[in-house]
Amino acid sequence: MTQRQTQILYRTCWTIALLIVAIPFMFPFVWMVSAGFKSTTEIFGAPTLIPRVWRWQNFIEVFTYQPFARQYFNSLYIAILVTVLTLIISSLAGYALARMRFAGAGLLMLFLISALMVPEEVTIIPNFFLIRSMGLVDTHWPLILLPTFGPQGVMATFLMRQYFLALPKELEDAGKMDGLSRFGVWWRIALPMSRPALAAVAIITFLSSWNLFLEPLIFLSSLEMFTLPLALSNFNDSYGLPLWNLQLAATTLAVVPILIVYLIAQRQIIESFALSGVKG
Amino acid sequence: MTNVLLKGIEKRFGSVEVIRGVDLQIDDGEFVVFVGPSGCGKSTLLRLISGLEHISAGDILIGDRLVNEVQPAQRGVAMVFQSYALYPHLTVRDNMGFGLKVRKMPADERQKRVAEAAATLKLDTLLDRYPRELSGGQRQRVAIGRAIVGHPDVFLFDEPLSNLDAELRVHMRSEIAALHKRLATTMIYVTHDQIEAMTLADKIVVLRDGRVEQVGSPRTLYENPANIFVAQFIGSPKMNVLPADAAPLLAALPATLSPAESVGVRPEHLMVVKPGEGILRGKVTLAEYTGAVTLLHVALADGHTCLAIYDKQEMPEVGAEIGLKADARDLHFFDSHGQATKLRSN
Amino acid sequence: MEAWLFVSPSAVGFLIFFLGPLCAVVYFSMTEWNLLTQQAAFVGLANFEDALLENPDFWHVVRNSVIFALGLVPLNMALALTLALALSRPFFGVVFFRTVFFAPVVTSAIAWAIVWKFLLQGEGGFINQMLAIVGISGPNWLREPNWAMAAVIVTRVIKMVGLNMILYIAALQAIPRDYEAAARLEGASRWQIFRMIIWPLLAPTTLIIMVITTIGSFKVFDHIYQMTGGGPENGTLVLAFYIYQQGFKFFNIGYASALAMIMFVIVMMLTIVQVMLRRKGAE
Repeated sequence: MTQRQTQILYRTCWTIALLIVAIPFMFPFVWMVSAGFKSTTEIFGAPTLIPRVWRWQNFIEVFTYQPFARQYFNSLYIAILVTVLTLIISSLAGYALARMRFAGAGLLMLFLISALMVPEEVTIIPNFFLIRSMGLVDTHWPLILLPTFGPQGVMATFLMRQYFLALPKELEDAGKMDGLSRFGVWWRIALPMSRPALAAVAIITFLSSWNLFLEPLIFLSSLEMFTLPLALSNFNDSYGLPLWNLQLAATTLAVVPILIVYLIAQRQIIESFALSGVKG
Repeated sequence: MTNVLLKGIEKRFGSVEVIRGVDLQIDDGEFVVFVGPSGCGKSTLLRLISGLEHISAGDILIGDRLVNEVQPAQRGVAMVFQSYALYPHLTVRDNMGFGLKVRKMPADERQKRVAEAAATLKLDTLLDRYPRELSGGQRQRVAIGRAIVGHPDVFLFDEPLSNLDAELRVHMRSEIAALHKRLATTMIYVTHDQIEAMTLADKIVVLRDGRVEQVGSPRTLYENPANIFVAQFIGSPKMNVLPADAAPLLAALPATLSPAESVGVRPEHLMVVKPGEGILRGKVTLAEYTGAVTLLHVALADGHTCLAIYDKQEMPEVGAEIGLKADARDLHFFDSHGQATKLRSN
Repeated sequence: MEAWLFVSPSAVGFLIFFLGPLCAVVYFSMTEWNLLTQQAAFVGLANFEDALLENPDFWHVVRNSVIFALGLVPLNMALALTLALALSRPFFGVVFFRTVFFAPVVTSAIAWAIVWKFLLQGEGGFINQMLAIVGISGPNWLREPNWAMAAVIVTRVIKMVGLNMILYIAALQAIPRDYEAAARLEGASRWQIFRMIIWPLLAPTTLIIMVITTIGSFKVFDHIYQMTGGGPENGTLVLAFYIYQQGFKFFNIGYASALAMIMFVIVMMLTIVQVMLRRKGAE
């Protein structure tokens, strides 16, 4: 066998192995969509990939069972708001930590580093009492405030700081020579040059808000206020058993748009996670 | 006897043809240099010989053995990389002994070989250091040492000096030349630096766009370039190429100009004379004084610019009118395809 | 002064929603709460004593968390490294595979858990239907403690392995290709190249990924909430879930806070290890 043939054989074996490994990564999505269109009887019958009867009804019942449209909108607007807030706050703080000298900077860095890894479960109990005393239980405020200022926000601040540190200082000095204020340098020079970092922060923040679960579970009680993950876990009958076809139809509606965006921008999204390095 | 023979070598990366048919004979013990502009395929050709890349067509023979399908490690070659490729987590000793270790050579024999090579390259005191603790020149020597310990039949060098500063480069160049003299092993050396090629090579192979332009000794290439490309690539500053009708103005010629289209003359062969003496006239536009000589940029009447090396003390002023002439022996004629040609005698 | 204008939004929020609560949880952990009067009484270290010495649940939870970590971390890392090695070089299909293996990372853990819970049902679940075809009678995965733990670990690994794979790919691509070429020329086999060159050069990345993944395994909450609810028979009750359960189901605020403190200490120790490893790696 020539080297070339050995190489082709080797590649083919790897590709087949990878395809087999890929099944449990892809199949759940396929089955989710398929089951979302099935009736309850078909779901528990013999497995079929293509539903025998396409039950579009499921996707209507999803919206009548609970205020799913409203819940969908809640998730979307909260995620956007958290993303915008995080971008502003983390890039401001990240810039100061990268470029300015000020009393307490070292101490602040130390606190932030220690916060980076602390799970939200550690502070969730006092935060619950804090939010309750502010009268913000069953509002969206805790879902906005806690991630923005918690570990997620700290991570964004670090990412921005690292990126600002790597930017050439000369450009900012040139800006200062041209008479820009500190704020002007940040807004007109540092930020436009930091698009990759800003994009990474935006993508990761959006996804983590979109997928947030513990805070909604603890703080929200009325159906109209629910966000998607909480709503998804709520498709149960009166015995607490899952209404599979509705639950899977709703999950399809929640997951597919994100997957489509992911498929279009997979490169950018994967790079963002690689850039952040520390997560999960 | 380790000669290397390349027959009709081709290499494609996808649809890009990098090597387009190279035939070459390298004799035992020869120091051969592949030289050419970047992207000419010289490093690829080296990697094809090493086996790190697989040829698309042709045959490679090392020591009369067909090695097309032979694994790199079984070809009896060793390579010195441009980046040195020293493993950062291993000491100098372990770096040099790595190949012997994976080939399961007994430890004492291994130590002996490493010590031998280290002594040759004056690395004895550095054996327990890590690559990051070495200077550029020392790393270079370790890279060579790693190649030596395997006692290869053929050494391959891929632009080994390009990461060194100018002074060290000259020094290492002479060390490599001395090494070749001592080992008398076949060496193939890739560089884009024509001075390196001229000083080191027994035989130079000039490559362009994946093809061999000319093969020959440094002297052959300098004195009898096969075409304009080689003429201008070898020698510094590069050869002036003028329309052929300038030739009779430079020197008395015994023959008609046909079929020559252009004439080449090296700056060091142009003699600067008073305006009246040479028939080719020009105006000095720039005089670059370098110490030993002065490099004159001369604008000719027909709009061409040519370079001339001037080694006398008194400097022609910028703007001064001068005459140029040359020896008929130093003129190179090229036809319309840029190939070297002889003038037909009357 | 100007600098504080830049950091103040961040710093104030951080103080209110992170540092303050972090101090509060220290105090909470030393109190006993009366649910009727909503009054806290100081009890010293009683909650910690309760957890560490008296309550058998606590050690059961610790055991579960350790099993979860010991199952998840090696499996995740071995798979991540294997996939990264296969996908760090360009070849036909590399983008497809990377996209597929990373897709679960961007998916919500709840959605992922819902679908897997559906697939893993005892009767009529797709996995068992498939197993039945080849003549295996599959267990009721999520209703038997050991199988449930295994199922949660494996589905979590599939969900998150893409992230470590990406980190490994980045590290592999940072290794100069010439190292491998040099080793090949010197006669090293693929395995020798991996064992003697690639693996040692990946060591800093491996150590950091290990710590991050271990910390991550202690944080898993939503996945377990949706898939097993900590059951069956508390078989998948891990620390993060236990805190939620004690704090927000049973309203044992003091005890839950003590648990949170214990989690904090574990994570801090792991973080310190990580920072030290990073320092060492940077040298």
